[in-house]
This record gives sequence, structure tokens and C-alpha cells, in this order.
Amino acid sequence: MAAESPATPRKVVVHLRATGDAPILKQAKFKIGGTEKFAKVIDFLRRQLHRETLFVYVNSAFSPNPDELVIDLYDNFGFDGKLVVNYACSMAWG
Amino acid sequence: MDGSEAKKYVWEGAIPLQIHLHESEVTTLPAPPPALVLGPRNGYLPLLIPLIKPHFSSTLPPGLDTVWFDYKGLPLKWYIPTGVLFDLLCAEPERPWNLTVHFRAYPSETLSPYEGEDSVKWSFINSLKEAAYIMNGNCKCVMNMSQPDQLMLWQSVVKGDLECYTRIFSRLKFGTIGEGRIPVRLYLRIVSEKLNDLEDLPPISSWDEIRYINRPVELQKYGVCSLRDALESLLPELFMPKSSMRDLRMREKESGGGPSGIKSALGPDDFEVIKNTGDEAEQTHNIASTEVDSVESSCLKLIRIQGIEPNLDLPFSWAANHLKNPEHILHICLYILNNESQI
Repeated sequence: MAAESPATPRKVVVHLRATGDAPILKQAKFKIGGTEKFAKVIDFLRRQLHRETLFVYVNSAFSPNPDELVIDLYDNFGFDGKLVVNYACSMAWG
Repeated sequence: MDGSEAKKYVWEGAIPLQIHLHESEVTTLPAPPPALVLGPRNGYLPLLIPLIKPHFSSTLPPGLDTVWFDYKGLPLKWYIPTGVLFDLLCAEPERPWNLTVHFRAYPSETLSPYEGEDSVKWSFINSLKEAAYIMNGNCKCVMNMSQPDQLMLWQSVVKGDLECYTRIFSRLKFGTIGEGRIPVRLYLRIVSEKLNDLEDLPPISSWDEIRYINRPVELQKYGVCSLRDALESLLPELFMPKSSMRDLRMREKESGGGPSGIKSALGPDDFEVIKNTGDEAEQTHNIASTEVDSVESSCLKLIRIQGIEPNLDLPFSWAANHLKNPEHILHICLYILNNESQI
């Protein structure tokens, strides 16, 4: 694999999983630049689902702060080459 | 200082705040005097609202409140601990710290929505889960916590009650800091290389000027890891190649400082000798240095953890254990000189 220099923005594969009664998205996986904030993932979900209130989690466990970088979340919590993001219309994991 | 004593100091640490009501919300003459409160370092600004609101309530215009704070025009992120905001935004510590409170016109494009104290609690518990996940590979210990315990834990943070906090954590099986991954939040503020005095630093006008990084430090089972080693592993870009170490060492010698030298488990092959300096003392100094302490930051202007500007030789596990915030994350503020190795 070619060494990635820090200058080339790394992309992260995000796997979106519906939880509870949240609608399932047609396209559940997408790529996002690592330097984007998690807020961008939340915004994307809001637009796709046409909902203002949404609960977004990583690894069915916790809601990261919207300011966290996607690459940090991937490095800290990703596995099998992707970051698993769960979304729900009501609070799923307090 | 003994570790538990340090922890107690950190928990008792508070910033004297002088809080002014924003002029657009003053409806009485004369304007109300500023409110003086102590903001605990480990606390969050919204937790001070019950103390501040009565002070200003008689002058507020009618309507619904959504309280937020600003410092020199910068809306303050409510989920960042008060001590971290102070260390990051007040280059030259200002006491009392002059903040402005607003009860209207919430800047929702800059700040995440705030819906009362529950928002802060929610953010705290989520950070705690993140920390547990980084340390243990899962956060079952937090997720399995009973609601009363969770509430009691949050109350101990709100009240700054270290005893109650320690009691709850002793039941949690959270894992101890000794080896493995330690969660760290870094706040990077880039300052001009030409800056001589921190007092001359212009105030931050946008959060885009701050880099916010969440990366763990990996502690090995054997061997000592200094704060310097930890920073280098987190931000290798910050540290210059060893070949350009000489000038720095000279400066260090002149100022009478110099690293006291954490002697790690490195073998003799790892000793670095800088030759031909023509200065015996200089050579001796270099021979005595291991590779570990031959790394010095090229552009680190200032480091602050819990208001302290720690020596980089401090063992990292000590810092993590005693200076971390209640959510088990070590928050580190770094002021970085802006030069060609821009990161």
C-alpha cells in the first residue's frame, strides 16, 4: 500500500445503521473526509431522514461530540475498516 | 506532591469570574453590576446559571432564556470544562476572568444546542463512555450503571465532591491507568512565531482557529513515558528532527535549564552523540542524554494542563492519573508557534 502522507486527506468509510423505528437508508455506507467533523455526519442523516431530532451513536454505545473529527473517531472506535454510526429517532442508549 | 493531594487541588481549583450582562439585554438604568462567582475548573459554565440568573433577573427583557457566554466576542462552547476554556483562551491568565452572559439570541450556528443542565450531563456521560471505550475496548461499565448511580456521579461533578465521586468509581471497575490507552483531548492554538509576549496575543475570534484533536496515548507495560514522549506520539509533526537539536541544546545550556533526563529502558545504541561541537561540556551533556530526552519541540510555545505549565519530563501516567478531568480524559492546551512545519 502506498504510504499516505499527512497532506493527503484520509477518507473514512461510515456505516449507517438504523436503530429502533428509524427508517433504513438505501445507501448505508458512504465515504467522508477524515478532517470533517462528526457534525457533518449528523447533518447528512438529518437531511436524508428529514428529521430535526435525531440520536446518533457510535458502536451502539455513545454519542460523540459534533466537534470531534471523523478521523479521530475512526482511529479510536473504528473496526473492520469502517466507523459504525447508529441513528435513532428516540434515545436508544442513555 | 503526593498524587492524591494533587487530585484534591485540581478538584478544588476554581477560576474567579466576573460576569457582565451583555449590553443589549440591559433594560434598567443604571446597568446591573457584574456578578462575581467562582467557576470550578472541572465544572461547566452552564452549571453557574442558577448562581448568576438571580443577579440579573430584574433587568432582563421579557421572554424565554437560553443562556450562553462569550469571551471577547467568542461564544464559549458549553461542553468544554471551564478550566480548559480559561487555559486555552486566556493566554495571560486574567483574574477575575471577564465573561459576558447572554440570556437571548443563542448563536446556534456556532454552539451546539443547549437544553438545560441535562445537555451538560448527557455530554459528560457520553465523554465518560468514550473514555471507557478507549481504555477498555467497551463501555459496559458505564452503560450498566444504575440510574441513581449515574445521577449521583453527575451530582458529584456538579458539586465538586471528590469523595462521593471516588466512592462511585470504586464500584465501577473502570480500569486503572498504568498501561494501555489513555484518552486525551488536545486543543491547539496556533500563535505567530514573532510573538514575544503572550499578553500581545490577539483574542480568538473564531473556533476555527483552534484545532481539537482526540487521540489516545499508548502506554507500554515497561518503561517510563514522559509527557514529552506522549506529546511526540500524539503530534509527531511538532517535534523537529534530531539533527537540528544542537541550537536548542545550546540555548538550554545558556539558560541553565536542560532536561533532567528520563533514563528509559533504551540500550546504549540508542544514545545519541552530537559530534564536533568543540565544546567539552556540550559533548558530555549530549552523551548523557538518551534518545528519549533528545527530542525537543521545535514550536511548542506553551503547554497547560489544569492551569499548570508542566515540565515535559513529568511521567505521563502521573499527569493522566492526577490531572485528568472527571470524565477520565486528560485535556491538554497547546500554544504552537506558526512556522514552516505548519501542521
